[in-house]
Amino acid sequence: MRTSSMRRDCLIALIVFAALAALPMLWPSRGVSDFVIRLAAFGIFATSLNMLVGYAGLESFGHGLFFGLGAYSFALAMQRLGTSIPTALLLTVLLSAAVAGIVGAICVRLKEIYFAFLTLAFQMLLHSLIIAWTPLTGGDQGLTGGVPRPAFLGIRLDAPYHLYLFSAGLLLLCLLLMRHIVQSPFGYTLRLIRDNPARATSLGINVWAMRLAAFVIAGAFGSLGGVVMSLFVSGAFPDFAYWTISGEAIFMIMLGGTTLFLGPVAGAVMLLLLNDVVTKLTEHYGLVLGLIILLFALGLRKGLADYLAELWRERSARRLAVPLPAAPFAEPSNKLSGE
Amino acid sequence: MDLPALANCVTSLSCIVTQSTSGLIIGMLLFLVAAGVSLIFGVLKVINFAHGSFYMLGAYLVLTVYGLSDSFLLAVIAAALGVAVFGLLFERLIISRVYGSQVLMQLLVCYGVILILDDLVKIIWGPEFKSLGMPAAFQKPPYLLGGGVVPVYYLFLILLTLLIAVALGLAITRTRLGKIVRAVAINPGMVSALGINTGYVYAGVFMLGGLLAGLAGALAAPVRSIVSGMGLSVVVESFIVTVIGGMGSVAGALVGSLLIGLVRSFGTIGFPLFTEGLMFLLMAVVLVLKPSGLFGREG
Amino acid sequence: MLSIENLSKSFGGVVAIRDVSLNFTPGSLTAVIGPNGAGKTTFFNLIMGSLLPDQGRILLGGENIAGLPTPQIVRRGIARAFQIASIFPSLTVREALLAAVNAQRQQHAKLLARFPLAAARDRAQEIMHMVGLAMKADMVSRSLSHGDQKLLDIALALVLEPRVLLLDEPTAGMGPEERWLMIDTVHRLWEREKMTLVFIEHDMDIVFKIAQSIAVLSYGRVLAEGTPAAIRQHPAVIEAYLGSEYAGRA
Repeated sequence: MRTSSMRRDCLIALIVFAALAALPMLWPSRGVSDFVIRLAAFGIFATSLNMLVGYAGLESFGHGLFFGLGAYSFALAMQRLGTSIPTALLLTVLLSAAVAGIVGAICVRLKEIYFAFLTLAFQMLLHSLIIAWTPLTGGDQGLTGGVPRPAFLGIRLDAPYHLYLFSAGLLLLCLLLMRHIVQSPFGYTLRLIRDNPARATSLGINVWAMRLAAFVIAGAFGSLGGVVMSLFVSGAFPDFAYWTISGEAIFMIMLGGTTLFLGPVAGAVMLLLLNDVVTKLTEHYGLVLGLIILLFALGLRKGLADYLAELWRERSARRLAVPLPAAPFAEPSNKLSGE
Repeated sequence: MDLPALANCVTSLSCIVTQSTSGLIIGMLLFLVAAGVSLIFGVLKVINFAHGSFYMLGAYLVLTVYGLSDSFLLAVIAAALGVAVFGLLFERLIISRVYGSQVLMQLLVCYGVILILDDLVKIIWGPEFKSLGMPAAFQKPPYLLGGGVVPVYYLFLILLTLLIAVALGLAITRTRLGKIVRAVAINPGMVSALGINTGYVYAGVFMLGGLLAGLAGALAAPVRSIVSGMGLSVVVESFIVTVIGGMGSVAGALVGSLLIGLVRSFGTIGFPLFTEGLMFLLMAVVLVLKPSGLFGREG
Repeated sequence: MLSIENLSKSFGGVVAIRDVSLNFTPGSLTAVIGPNGAGKTTFFNLIMGSLLPDQGRILLGGENIAGLPTPQIVRRGIARAFQIASIFPSLTVREALLAAVNAQRQQHAKLLARFPLAAARDRAQEIMHMVGLAMKADMVSRSLSHGDQKLLDIALALVLEPRVLLLDEPTAGMGPEERWLMIDTVHRLWEREKMTLVFIEHDMDIVFKIAQSIAVLSYGRVLAEGTPAAIRQHPAVIEAYLGSEYAGRA
């Protein structure tokens, strides 16, 4: 099996972090560091959604619930409770996990399309709540007044470079953790459930419980994406809980591919780049983006990373081909062509 | 939250009449859109997220044709037919390629089309809000019913859509074509094996959906503002309606639409900021208690 | 090992299984044959708990399992392979079996460890060898040939370490050479594991070659039960199903 080991993953993450840390010094541009921070927010969010879509087979339309919840609860915790950043992070993750537990327990037992709609309903419920509860959330104007950033462990998130490093570091840390979860026995149980829930049940697996666990984990990580976003904009906006956030994340994972772990991150890079480039070139952003989406969805019909991975796999599979033995009651041939 | 205002309203006949009528037209227009969504899902098993764009196109088309011809009747017919043709093209060129794909892929395709249309509409007609104004035929003083105000156009709208709802229901249950459509919904392979071209049925259902949505957009034009992106809230509400009423059921779409229409009109009084939330709450409750909807079949 | 007593099942007005009594001794290899619609798959469904019997007892090692939910029946040692292979398309043979072994050992929810668990590797390897898929361990399940998918389906059933294995038409849909390979694998499996094996089959050549005993179902009831030689000469069986080609041949 060509699975990676945790050690190798950590090493790669460290190298990438070092490279990202050096980047602003080689290419000092506000645009670049902003890009990386936004990538961190969406990379974490999209990858967490793919845990549901790609690995567990749960097509959620309402994952934005956790993005919005993460942004608002973190910002509110810092503004109202005056806690330290690590504490606010912990509270946010716990709150999101709890909400995911309740929402998931209700949604996960439903069939695909109804599951999708109910998750959307819950997300829009949160959105409506945010808009209506003006005294707490600032209503449709959003949460203003900035996010207090007391120093912790020597990190001052009011300094741009520190925020940059923190975001990049959080992205890599979350990716490592999610990667580990997805490569654990639990992760493979999710794949079993995705491929054939009935057979999984006949193997003694409690499908509902496993799906709920996946939903909670995905929700917790999704909220961290919202946290990065709230630090980036110094507040929180109702848009963070609007259905378009879910739509963008779905677009990212479809664009990048659902079968490779880093597909969603690749998709996030592509979509963010597309956003930036297209808005610079033309004011008809929707037209261009829409055409590109159609090109992908109708032409390629799968994510870019998936497409490339398939090409690679087909090439290596040809070398592993095994000829079928011919005679009845004979031993299968031990010859392999190639490898 | 403004419960006293709500309580006042339900105890006043005039308020009940005014709000109910307003709720009814919201509901009836929504029905035209939701019926299309529901049929398309029931027969093609496709969630047409772009249905709101059909509605939007209908509104813009009626604007143009009315401006050219000064005849509201002509404009409405032209708009409805125009969107029907668009629905056909949409099905043949785009949606038919993602039959059987993941739901998320269908969502993505529709999202792309929505983005394109929203921008196209801005390019062709301009980004500002437009309005049709009340056509001359309906510029009459409103009826007074129990002290409540009922504009003439509202009455016309309600009666017309009711007629269409009945016609649609009869067409599906009583005619041979309706039977074929229902059969395709249940077992397309079998129908195809019997020599009926299911491709035509699929295209036809999309055309019908387009026709109804375009009609809704055209009829809504005198009483709603026309702007890019106006399809969004309509399609979201029509999905709530199809969930509540049951996918594939026209009767369910009618009941669901009326329910949502009334919740909206009375809800804006009692819960001005949370009206959207109310509808989603309703959908959530239905999904938990009876996921297949009030009139839907299990599975 | 497995005793069926007076089993009956109707669907509305249609009687699918009518007062069926059969006995499968430990370690036996029995073929269940009969015309289409005789109720053979329904029979398996009843044993596995996918359907609830109207009447009768199903004794596994003396214990009546009729009416129990499938997961419990499975835990008591019966496993089943399907007519249409029920596998995990996107996983490789190895991954599917490793994950299944995890599940069987209740280790499938572990979050801290890395997959595959070392302890599961040996068992998965062993099962792959048992069905002859070891060479194809790293092939993605959906790209396997039809016959190999059925072998994988059987392998997944074997993960459960069953005392009784039910195979529903193991050679269905296979060409002439493939089917002998399949039945050879099944036969060697049975010899090695000493399990009680019951298989539904339509190919009479295969049935008469390997079955120790044969049960004939027709219209939901047992027409005959016995050794291949006895069944061959059974007049009712010849009339209802076999025809003269197989009758009386030694």
